[in-house]
Amino acid sequence: MFSSYDIVFYLLALFALFSAFGVVTSASPIYSAFFLVLAMMDIACLFVMLGAFFIAGVQLIVYAGAVVVLFVMVLMLFNLHQETEAFSRGTISGMAKLGVTGLLCGILATTLFHFASTAKTIAAEIGPEESTEKLAKLLFSDYLFGFEAISILILVVAVGAVALSQLKGGTHAKS
Amino acid sequence: MGGDAFEVTVNLVKMAVIFLMMVQMVPILVWAERRGSAFIQNRFGPNRVGPLGLTQLLADAVKFIMKEEFVPGKATALLFYAAPVVALIPAALSLAAIPYSVPVHVEAFGEYGPYVFNIQGYEAGLGILFILSVSSLGAYSILMAGYGSANKYSLMGALRASAQMVSYELALSLSVIGVVLIYGTLNLSEIIKLQEGVKFGLPNWGILYQPLGFVLFFSCAFAECNRLPFDLSEAEGELVAGFHTEYGGFKMLLFFMGEYGHMMVASCLATIFYFGGYNIPYCTPTEVLQILETKFASSTVASLLTSLVFLISFLIKVGFFLWLFIWVRWTLPRFRYDQLMNLGWKKMLPWSLFNLILTAAAMLILKG
Amino acid sequence: MSVVLPVLILGALVILFGGGLIFLVSFLGPSKPSAEKSMPYECGLVGVEKRDTKVSVKYYLVAILFILFDIEVIFMYPWAIIYKSNLAEAGTFLFIEMMFFMAILIFGLFYIWKAGALDWE
Repeated sequence: MFSSYDIVFYLLALFALFSAFGVVTSASPIYSAFFLVLAMMDIACLFVMLGAFFIAGVQLIVYAGAVVVLFVMVLMLFNLHQETEAFSRGTISGMAKLGVTGLLCGILATTLFHFASTAKTIAAEIGPEESTEKLAKLLFSDYLFGFEAISILILVVAVGAVALSQLKGGTHAKS
Repeated sequence: MGGDAFEVTVNLVKMAVIFLMMVQMVPILVWAERRGSAFIQNRFGPNRVGPLGLTQLLADAVKFIMKEEFVPGKATALLFYAAPVVALIPAALSLAAIPYSVPVHVEAFGEYGPYVFNIQGYEAGLGILFILSVSSLGAYSILMAGYGSANKYSLMGALRASAQMVSYELALSLSVIGVVLIYGTLNLSEIIKLQEGVKFGLPNWGILYQPLGFVLFFSCAFAECNRLPFDLSEAEGELVAGFHTEYGGFKMLLFFMGEYGHMMVASCLATIFYFGGYNIPYCTPTEVLQILETKFASSTVASLLTSLVFLISFLIKVGFFLWLFIWVRWTLPRFRYDQLMNLGWKKMLPWSLFNLILTAAAMLILKG
Repeated sequence: MSVVLPVLILGALVILFGGGLIFLVSFLGPSKPSAEKSMPYECGLVGVEKRDTKVSVKYYLVAILFILFDIEVIFMYPWAIIYKSNLAEAGTFLFIEMMFFMAILIFGLFYIWKAGALDWE
């Protein structure tokens, strides 16, 4: 029988698929962005169901609350017009799309068959409460170098963004 | 499935109650705001309809409902309608995660086992992170309204409002991290428990450890709620009414509910982080429970009454902060947009970083 | 799990409440549409300007800088959780780690400040 956990999971999964489909099929870029937010929130819910509260928070704050806000703001800034067709057509680009889709399906299937059982045991092993603390301890001991490297990476991106915004020329370079 | 069905029912009732409470608070706050502003500006305010003008709220509601339903010609209808509904979601979800009082312990009753009833919509394990992440979605309703209205004032207002919200969110999160450092947890109930008791003859509240953090948090909360002096999104001298220029009637009312809901969340959080949550100075929940248990035979009743006492204590504190929001709105003038951004990035952000470093260093030196 | 269900219930409730009431209320008010009324509002004048007004690139810059700092701030949460409980054994180590991280953050802030990215006007 289905438990309520299963029911909620399948509903969320269906909704995630629906919103992801919306991202690629909507003709208007602004609707694509809003569908993307829905997909992000959905995935955050799925993380919570796995007991990964912190990752869910990161998903919402960074992706839904910051990255997609930037997307929407930029779309409003440039005021892109509605495309008449959701997909561009062409033999070569069509082949490339098919190839990429096939590759993704392959990766997905492999992941499902190989890691389904391990994922379950890991989720059972990590209690929902401690997982954040465990993650923090790992981050600040074993993965310290990666953590500090992130700050440098972010600095580089900040410098790049500022430099790009100050370029002269082009249609949108000057305010 | 029996336990599940019970849980679902309890949750459903709780959610409905919390959401209706939020909706009910809005007219009361609007009344307080109008009377308060009149008091501050030496006017009368609404005082004709009913005692103290209280039934003015009903008249307003009827007026809002009877307005024409209207969509501007070039507007994107879906986004135009979705924006006011989405505006309610972050506030409602956050309010449900706030612990309002001590849990009620219900004794075993016949075949039904003992039950602990939390005065809280749901216990989000990492409450602070939950509320911050939900309220970071607040920008979407504004962006939807700005884009959906197909009006340049709405668009400008929405861009300004969202740029302002994201700028102040940084300083806000940094000041919250100061609190997390002191208490070492992201759970709201635990933070309140840690603020019980007395220190240096004063209530052991967060403001003792984070005075600068409180000032930063509360100022940023004003900016997050788009309230004066930070209501640049609605600067009527330049932008008509900002992102809700094209809105009227009931949809406008929903935006109002969202804004006041954000104010309530900010007040609740300020109370929990810096003013002891539902704690009453110089007495703990266990003491109150012991006193009440000697008066009443049933421990369920004693527990219920304790919970009620602390609920009132919490509401008094929150009410004070809500009044502070109104008070500031009618006292300070509005910033200019460049002043606003300068304040956010060049003053609030460095000061909140400084506050964080100071807190961490002090903890290191004092070891705890 | 215990959180997801109530959150979804509440979200659905809010959407039902808002959407349902907007729908119901639309029957109550009058409905007299006109060409003037459905024009974009422009202070009572006939609209002259097109919708796609130029917007300063500063908004975009603010949003992207926000993302960057937001990511840095997110990393401080796990640090803040474990800082107090590990103060005795590893306090100095954790403090220096975070100060190094923050030094780069502050340097970045200083750079964008001096580069004029935060100046409006």
